[in-house]
Amino acid sequence: MPESIDFQKLLELFQYDKFDPLLFGTSLFLFFFLAVLIIYRVFAQNNALKIYSLIFFSLFFYYKAANYFVALLLLSSILNFYSGKFIFKTASQNMKRLILTTTIIINLGILVYFKYTNFFLEIIMNISGGEFEPLKILLPIGISFYTFKAMSYIIEIYFEMIEPTDSFRDFTLFIFFFPNLLMGPIDRASTFIPQIEREYKLTNHDVGLALFLICSGLIKKYVIADYVSLNFTDRVFEFPLRFTGVENLLAIYGAAMVGYCDFSGYTDLALAVGLLLGFKMIDNFNRPFKAYSIADYWRRWHISLSTWLLDYLFKPLQISLRNMRGYGTSIAIFVTFFIVGLWHGPNWTFILFGLLHSIYLIFSMATQKYRDAFYSKLGIKDSKVLRVFQIFFTFNLLVFTAILFRTPSLEYFSHMLSQIFTYFHAEVLLQYVEAYPIIIILLGFAYLMHYTPLSWEKKTVELLSKIPVVVQALILAVVIWFVIQFKSAELQPFIYFQF
Amino acid sequence: MLSERLIKVLNKELNLSDFNFTEETTANQVPGWDSLNHINIILAIEKEYSTKFKGIEILRVKNLGDLQKLIDSKTAQ
Repeated sequence: MPESIDFQKLLELFQYDKFDPLLFGTSLFLFFFLAVLIIYRVFAQNNALKIYSLIFFSLFFYYKAANYFVALLLLSSILNFYSGKFIFKTASQNMKRLILTTTIIINLGILVYFKYTNFFLEIIMNISGGEFEPLKILLPIGISFYTFKAMSYIIEIYFEMIEPTDSFRDFTLFIFFFPNLLMGPIDRASTFIPQIEREYKLTNHDVGLALFLICSGLIKKYVIADYVSLNFTDRVFEFPLRFTGVENLLAIYGAAMVGYCDFSGYTDLALAVGLLLGFKMIDNFNRPFKAYSIADYWRRWHISLSTWLLDYLFKPLQISLRNMRGYGTSIAIFVTFFIVGLWHGPNWTFILFGLLHSIYLIFSMATQKYRDAFYSKLGIKDSKVLRVFQIFFTFNLLVFTAILFRTPSLEYFSHMLSQIFTYFHAEVLLQYVEAYPIIIILLGFAYLMHYTPLSWEKKTVELLSKIPVVVQALILAVVIWFVIQFKSAELQPFIYFQF
Repeated sequence: MLSERLIKVLNKELNLSDFNFTEETTANQVPGWDSLNHINIILAIEKEYSTKFKGIEILRVKNLGDLQKLIDSKTAQ
């Protein structure tokens, strides 16, 4: 007799589970997403139904990840929608500024309460010498991303870059949109909202691009990032003193690539999901380790956040301090990167990360003229050799800050550095390569792909757009099979080379 | 129409000679006009026209056409 369906289990699939949000790449997500896509195709002619189905699914998606915090999403939508309307309607410039400032304070107040209360309390307690008991504040997942997304709307209205939308429905979709809800990209109202009412059309190029993004996203996230971090970099970062300096160094270079593959892999999947629903979102990464300067890096890494801060924080600050010239710009850089650090989390490691980047940038700005003059004198100013050297140098500066991105505390950070400088043991490298060939191959592959010309990527997408659907499906199936092999692979055994 | 005077200031600040500036040109299309250099260009324009822009006025400028209009509105006063 066939087993009866366990309705309790089935119901659980629809309920909030702290340990099981609907992440892209899980089979449950795939199941729900296919259902949404089918509704989408069936109601292709009925725009309202399509929009409501997306809003409904996005709310469900957030509920699965954050439970009752779904109310915060609603609150954020109401606050920013009406604030946008008022800013636009008010004639007085002072009044506009007052509404904008108040709304930003409320937005940031909510964000700061959930994310930083304990961090600030701890600092206050440390100074006053009291006992610190952290308050039990749960963090609503994705809050930094959707708060910034919502704020872009009111700021763009204030800057007269857009007019507010009349449709609360469209605005909620902008805030709720599940592909970019939890981890960005932080889309702008000015590019996103006009796409909502547009007719749903998928070109061959869209399908080819989506296929490319899914394949690259799955490989980056599940094959490279998850496998290498689980079997290598996490272990070293959690117990740096158990490993030799050479392993610590290798883990640092590994972690830089893992961090990129993890975030950009997730973003690729988000972009593909959005694309299949007819939405083009901001791209978030452009081969960041090809940057020839730190400023160039910030045009290539987490682009939606860096342009957000550039347009809404750095530029206004820089302009208001312009009479101080270079000093004013330095202050603007310093403040912006302090916020960049803090935005990533309530931890001193992130604050130091931001501080280092601001020092790099200010130093680079202050010495630019002299360096250019020096390169001209040597006759290498626009040479390829100089460019390669600059990329190599920038990359190493970045890797140094990447330690701070991954390490749990400043104490661990100093442990890693001390292992590298006092307990290096270069001979372990060969043993390591022999013991973990897969890790080395994966990292080597990731770095190699990273430095291939961007035009190869464009050509691949073109090719994928032209091949028959059957071949496209076959490619996807092969990639999924490959990913599953890595996802289900057993953990690599620990080896402590120093013993 | 962009004035010769504005183009002269831009060429001087950006060390350019034959770049084709139009009303639709945005900062990121011009070589050397990055976010760090931006402020020097604004200061040079303010100096050339002996005027002072408000912060919000500069932030609302989307392209060179807007910039020219802003300058015109200031010099007409």
